[in-house]
Amino acid sequence: MEDFSKATEAMIATWHGVQPPNDPGRRLVADLVHTIRAFEKLRGTIQFEDEPASFESALLATKEGA
Amino acid sequence: MMSSLSNISLADLSLVEAADAVRTGQTTSLELLNACWANLEKANGRLNATIWLDREGAQESARAADAAVRAGGKIGKLHGVPMAHKDMYYQAGKLSTCGSNLRKNFVPTYTATVIERMAAEGAYIYGGLNMAEFAQNPTGHNKTFLDCHNPWNLPYITGGSSSGSGAAVAARMTYAALGSDTGGSIRLPAAACGVTGIKPTQTRVSRYGAMPLSFSCDNVGPLTRTARDCARILGIIAGHDPRDPTSAREPVPDYEAALDGDIRGMRIGLTETYFLDGADAPVIAALEQAAKVLAARGAIITRIKLPLMEAISTYMSIISRVEAATIHAQWMRENSQEYGQHISGRMYPGYAIPAPYYVEALSRRGPLLKAFAQDVFSNVDALINPTIPTCLPTLEETDIDHGPPGTEHAFLAVSANTRPYNYLGLPVISVNCGFDPNGLPIGLQIAGRPFGESRILKIAEAYQRDTDFHTRRPPVLA
Repeated sequence: MEDFSKATEAMIATWHGVQPPNDPGRRLVADLVHTIRAFEKLRGTIQFEDEPASFESALLATKEGA
Repeated sequence: MMSSLSNISLADLSLVEAADAVRTGQTTSLELLNACWANLEKANGRLNATIWLDREGAQESARAADAAVRAGGKIGKLHGVPMAHKDMYYQAGKLSTCGSNLRKNFVPTYTATVIERMAAEGAYIYGGLNMAEFAQNPTGHNKTFLDCHNPWNLPYITGGSSSGSGAAVAARMTYAALGSDTGGSIRLPAAACGVTGIKPTQTRVSRYGAMPLSFSCDNVGPLTRTARDCARILGIIAGHDPRDPTSAREPVPDYEAALDGDIRGMRIGLTETYFLDGADAPVIAALEQAAKVLAARGAIITRIKLPLMEAISTYMSIISRVEAATIHAQWMRENSQEYGQHISGRMYPGYAIPAPYYVEALSRRGPLLKAFAQDVFSNVDALINPTIPTCLPTLEETDIDHGPPGTEHAFLAVSANTRPYNYLGLPVISVNCGFDPNGLPIGLQIAGRPFGESRILKIAEAYQRDTDFHTRRPPVLA
């Protein structure tokens, strides 16, 4: 976990020039492992897509009375 | 003042009643302003619901409104109604702090479309309301302007990020207040403060001149005391705006007219999965009782298990974090100490989320909405669930800046039930459906199909016809 946090903080500093602002920030970076696990669970649910998806068109396609 | 209004406080009128009273000459705009101001002077020292006030400017607007009535001039749907809004709606030449130290002196050069549209109907503004810093927390904590307190029980959270909007409407300091909702920021303070708040369909209302937090998920909407009041304001602010190209071109229905009639035969799904995870008994009891009230009106209540919630929750968890981190990158590099710790601390991980995750979350949004709608709305017309699944926590229990490690989890749990609807872009209204053992309001969320605001407003209004939670006055006014 400590390695993950250090590596992530270094990556943020390198790519964005942003330093850890405080302890809650450091703790929430460590919590990103939960985000990774959540995305792992979703693997396989997305296939190669030939056409772009549009959220705005989905709103209209599913609207009240459609 | 005419005799019909002489026995009640003018500040207790709903927005629609107040506007009608001015229009018909039963009262004046100046009297409405003075009634709101009396409550402000009585309660605001304990609530801290405002950031700036302009009483003289408001008095001038009130006198002009009253003169227009006397002259038989144009009377709009909000004519002579004083208001205050979350301090992130730009007005040219006026302060708009965004609840932050970084923008504490920010004076925009242009005016938000929603402000212009309400002004065109005769509303005027007396102040800017407290809010979470840059609209980024679900509790109402604020490092710069200090925390906003709940009018029902002062040590407890107001909900955020539209904290001052919820507190000021509940305390009868204003007839309505705009909020903004990226992950629940209209519905959470509406629920926690016992008022009514609607997050419209994504793209329904222009965001031009409203401080951005997350371009994909930001919404503008009102907090008021009744569903009818929300209908009036939404009818005014909704609709395409050329200055906000993301706003929908869908026609705007007459939301107030849609409130008439009953809800007999309407199919309402009581959500059993996700939204009741970890829910407290008083909240579940209030939800069940609300379902009975709607059933007594003829609605058909169906218990429903929602699909896809794991994916929806996962994807929603990163979109606003990445977008907020991007918008704030320069300040996060150079001035991160100017933010509250809970603000900069929450944004910081956003820089580590890989672009493919973010793109996946955005690209799945449309397909997931279609799948959700097909599965859910083929069986029910609307959904109900608690706005906040637990009894409200205190400000201290959710204070990341001063609390022990782990406080962030209690803080983030507040918005667990509101965030999924932002990902799906659905319209949702929160109404008061009871009180917890600490005397704090419990919120009921009613969600519908995209652009189905008329239906959820109708359900909310029907519910408020048979209950009186929305009319009760908080102890801070005693």
